[in-house]
Amino acid sequence: MAINRRRFVQTMGAGAAGAWIAGRGLEGGLWPELAAMQGTSGAAAVSPIILSSNENPVGPGKVVLDAVRAALGASGGPAGRYSNAAGALTEAIAKKFGVKPENVALGCGSTQLLRSSTHLFTGPTKALVATIPAYEECAGYADMMGHPVRAVPLGPDLKMDLDKLADASRGAGLVFYCNPNNPVSTYVGARPTRDYISRVNRISPDTTILIDEAYFDYVTDPDHATHVPLAVEDPRVLVARTFSKAYGMAGLRLGYAIGHADTIKKMQDLDAATGNSSLNVLAMQAGIAAIAQDPGFIAAERARNTSSRDFTMKWFMDHGMKPADSQANFMFVNLGRPAKDFRDACAAKGVKVGRDFPPYEKTHCRISFGTMDEMQKAVVVFGEVLAKRAETAA
Amino acid sequence: MSVSRRGLFEVLSRAGTQSATARAPLPSAPPGVTEIRISSNENPLGPGKTVVDAMMTRFGEVGRYPFNNLTANEANLTAAIAAKQQVKPENVVLAVGSQELLRNAVRAFTSPYRHLVTAAPTFENCTKVASALKHPVVEAKVDSAFKLDLESMLATVRGAGLVFVNNPNNPTATVHGIKTITDFVERVHRVSPDTVIFIDEAYHDYVTDPNYQTAIPLAMAMPNVFVARTFSKAYGMAGMRIGYAIGQPDTIKPLERLRMPMTLSVFTVGAALVALADQKHIDDERARNTAVRDFTMKAFVDMGCKPTASQANFLFVDIGRPAQGFRDACAQKGVIIGRDFPPFENSHARISIGTMAEMTKAVDVFRDILRPLSPSNAGKGGN
Repeated sequence: MAINRRRFVQTMGAGAAGAWIAGRGLEGGLWPELAAMQGTSGAAAVSPIILSSNENPVGPGKVVLDAVRAALGASGGPAGRYSNAAGALTEAIAKKFGVKPENVALGCGSTQLLRSSTHLFTGPTKALVATIPAYEECAGYADMMGHPVRAVPLGPDLKMDLDKLADASRGAGLVFYCNPNNPVSTYVGARPTRDYISRVNRISPDTTILIDEAYFDYVTDPDHATHVPLAVEDPRVLVARTFSKAYGMAGLRLGYAIGHADTIKKMQDLDAATGNSSLNVLAMQAGIAAIAQDPGFIAAERARNTSSRDFTMKWFMDHGMKPADSQANFMFVNLGRPAKDFRDACAAKGVKVGRDFPPYEKTHCRISFGTMDEMQKAVVVFGEVLAKRAETAA
Repeated sequence: MSVSRRGLFEVLSRAGTQSATARAPLPSAPPGVTEIRISSNENPLGPGKTVVDAMMTRFGEVGRYPFNNLTANEANLTAAIAAKQQVKPENVVLAVGSQELLRNAVRAFTSPYRHLVTAAPTFENCTKVASALKHPVVEAKVDSAFKLDLESMLATVRGAGLVFVNNPNNPTATVHGIKTITDFVERVHRVSPDTVIFIDEAYHDYVTDPNYQTAIPLAMAMPNVFVARTFSKAYGMAGMRIGYAIGQPDTIKPLERLRMPMTLSVFTVGAALVALADQKHIDDERARNTAVRDFTMKAFVDMGCKPTASQANFLFVDIGRPAQGFRDACAQKGVIIGRDFPPFENSHARISIGTMAEMTKAVDVFRDILRPLSPSNAGKGGN
């Protein structure tokens, strides 16, 4: 299983190949600085505002935390037992979506599912197709396996260019269709997405399309619908979901995929039925409670995020900077300067923003939305950092 | 490869059948009967108060990825494991349970041309994954003392990709001393220097045999050897899913590459950090297990059933009849014991060690069920 770096480079161009993957894992790197700052006497009061990982800043809420407490019990004994809750969780998810349990695969975050679908559907002659930038997991894994990666540039409004994407999809093994698209936050409506899928089905009938709906719950565009119903009918369509975003459970590690029973079975066979061993009991019990809770929880979280989003987007526009049209819990904004400079300066003032996203790392920054209170504090820091840089430049 | 093609095919076809039929669910206790779960080699007491208290402090951090956590992050955990095992962080690979290591070791080190050498019976995950990938598997049956037959394994090791050495061995509960393991590793290196040796020490903390020692120093001293550990056994965290491997950086690099990122929950990392710092809890757990193990082994001997020399938190005992009938009869009385372990499923049962209170009740159940067994039949189970 040697990495064929050369093939990857040929596909992407030498600069882009390194660049796509380069951003990975940098998020954690700022913590030592912040921790050190907290330890110094002068800046001891610095309380970091984390706007770097597209998390729900409020967390999962009482229903889920109570489920975790109940799962632990008074003694914590259940933490010592192998859990067989995977079946109940699979059924709860299936019920929520009106599909059958055999349409659902569980994963340790959506990462496990992005990896297993990349493993299954790409190969030495079956490329992975994704926009650049997009969430890096599939491209990184395909690269590691030595499978070719086709990077498709975004349109001028940072939306997926479906014509270019369809052209690149011809003969591909897997299309990673992240919608809303991380890190650029833009969204393609349900209708054009359906048109794109049927077009690929027609021009490239052996290509599988993985629709990552990680940020589904944050969309406010009226042309919005899940592609789960299509995925359970069509073995060439697969939907990935996560509990790490609107459900506020990034610390628990839980995701799932919904698809045709044959596709789901292939994913489970890949792990020789050991895939669920990556799921901890607290995450599974939390997931059961989360998926069954009143849908009002998600509606309230969407409304909360929309307020923070409107406030933050307006602040940037008022200051002459244009963010992409965000339909997620983060924004991608043209600062006209390298993200790293901005990020480091913000970190020094206790605000942590997103990592580099080539090919836009010289101009754009990804900023996740915190609570309204956090964003009100953060824009003060943004103002200071951006003004200082402007003075220096002047 | 010294194995005949026909021999290989026979082994493979059996393994293939095993993986195709997913492990049958264990029976459960009838409604209203208190369940004694001694089927999965867990610590019946869980992780202990210190660890649970530490987990309770993490509720406010559930919404954040663990890499955003100032304390419960993977870098801190890797450093803590390295310090505990007196190695460097670069010698440690974290895993989501040791199952991820079993899976990825097979993916990384075996191929259609480089077979897996393992035992029968032993922990089956490597065999299952290799079979699913259609990589050849050679199994060596344990010896007459139910120990890993290292001589037989050595005979099939030339050109192998991976050798799986489970020490103590699950399900047979036996252990090899460090001298024997060292000798085996050195001989494998001489015969087949590129073969990787995976020493799974999941039950390390339960061993009382003075000849046993961890193979971690061996893995640190030699290439192509690594040791796996888990928090699922003595540490009482099976539900939390965490394990790790230790070896030379070049040896474990493929495991690091194949590792899924971001797999450990904030509760898992937080719990493991605290658990590592509490060696007394582990020492107490070993003493507790040893006392209950002695009690249970003696009870079986008194019933005329011979257990193997257990060095773990479970027994492998010759009940002189198929495990399935015994298991179902136990389940009727609320006692849930281990699954079938071919090729000994017609004579042996695997029974995990619960608390003394649980085992006192369980032994009464065993005695009731085994009573009709006449002494002349004891120990004559078909192998």
